[in-house]
Amino acid sequence: MSQNENSLTALSSALADAVQRAGQSIVTVDARRRFPATGVVTASGHVLTASHVLQDDEIKVILPEGDELQADLLGRDVHSDLALLKLSSDKGNAVKTNQDPQVGQLALALGRPSTEGVQASLGIVSALGGPLRSPYGGMIESYLRTDAVPFPGFSGGPLVDAEGALLGINTSGLGYGASITIPTRLAWKIASAIEQHGGVKRGYLGIRSQLVEVAEDARKALKRDQASGLLVIGVEGGSPAKSAGLIVGDIIVGFNGQPVSDHDELLGLLQGDVVANPTPVEVLRGGKQQIVQVTIAELQESEPEARRHHRGFRRWGWGRR
Amino acid sequence: MNPLLGTEFASSLARARPGVVAVFGKRFGAGAGILWNADGLVLTNRHVIGQREPRVLLADERSFDAEIVALDEEVDLALLKITAENLHAAPIGDSTQLRIGQLLFTLGHPWGQRNAASFGVVSRLDNARTRGRRGLIPIIRTDAKLAPGNSGGPLLNAAGEVVGINTMIVGGDQGVAIPSAVALDFIEKVRAKARILAS
Repeated sequence: MSQNENSLTALSSALADAVQRAGQSIVTVDARRRFPATGVVTASGHVLTASHVLQDDEIKVILPEGDELQADLLGRDVHSDLALLKLSSDKGNAVKTNQDPQVGQLALALGRPSTEGVQASLGIVSALGGPLRSPYGGMIESYLRTDAVPFPGFSGGPLVDAEGALLGINTSGLGYGASITIPTRLAWKIASAIEQHGGVKRGYLGIRSQLVEVAEDARKALKRDQASGLLVIGVEGGSPAKSAGLIVGDIIVGFNGQPVSDHDELLGLLQGDVVANPTPVEVLRGGKQQIVQVTIAELQESEPEARRHHRGFRRWGWGRR
Repeated sequence: MNPLLGTEFASSLARARPGVVAVFGKRFGAGAGILWNADGLVLTNRHVIGQREPRVLLADERSFDAEIVALDEEVDLALLKITAENLHAAPIGDSTQLRIGQLLFTLGHPWGQRNAASFGVVSRLDNARTRGRRGLIPIIRTDAKLAPGNSGGPLLNAAGEVVGINTMIVGGDQGVAIPSAVALDFIEKVRAKARILAS
């Protein structure tokens, strides 16, 4: 090929180098009856993978060099479909990261669902977006999409840039009929929440609400130009909202000091440190601004079987037993 | 990044294009083929050849009846021969040097669209079990788009050299090609046999 060296052959070699480099941090995750899936080494002894590919209690991880290790599940976050594993020994090379994905940049989706080696497909970063409502009701703060083909067993594997640095973790388990990628920055945040608390804390308020316009007078009462809020149309018995005295007819316009103008904003704020803590909820009641202190409860995860029929959830989007 | 990169896609394809032919071997439809050398050897897939006497249409629009030199059911290859002057063979590359992630191009006639190109990367290098005595043969899997009409056509590396023969589509989105090394092996065996018969 030497007589035909040009920038295209150089790019071709660079892509192969990227696959090889990233491949050192890509492992096989075998914990389901179908073919195995893929995981990414985030730090020695730690592997991030897709939650939905972990169906068996016994989790086996195969390193690039072929070492087979047992792994413990440190925790999972079904909303982003991520799970963190701890290997039985401190092995594995941490992947290089790229926390600044750009729409249009070249991207390789990689997987290692078999011991035959790493597999690849090429595309670009097609879109950056977020927040996105997960089929489980939680919010995914940010996501990216690629046109690189996710081959079977690629879930839990990385999307990397042309240098082999991690852009995000691919999953086809969120049931949108397509694969989405959880960007590195968010994936790392979720991994650290799992490591510290065993999962991402998502709060439970206990209301049903509807998007409404904030009237002109009420805007004056708020002393800010906020066009919409959430009208409380139901309060669940025994819920934090009930205990704190939120009532039907209140319009929620702020949460924990941040303005709330739609459902997604509220869900985005209803996680992390607010859980199990008294949190100020700003409402309009009778046209007047009022702060209600609510002790946010933790959202209880239902079992996977029960979750199957959740709104927005497609049965075929998940690996079946 | 080199500003010429985009046009180099085109020049790599231009190297291979004169060596890509259309093969009419069945009553309907056509496959692709690779003009393997200037003597008129044409390599294609066995499944492109049917009952009809195959006819080969060159990139320069000349068309010839072809003689079937050899068929290999097991690895789905067919070797044809046309008698013609001024033939431009496709450059043949070394499939044993392929790496996962390297750029690949295809040329063929998907859905009858003549000389259409697509591109992707080497997705996976593994083995497939044949139905015959050969057992395992190496195959190349790619994310480059293939469609009916690509069969028998070349899978090209970034330099525009033939590294595989596009043969199959699996799962709708993965192309499977027979490596050029397997094709070379096939052609070499056919030639060796011909020498024995001639002597």
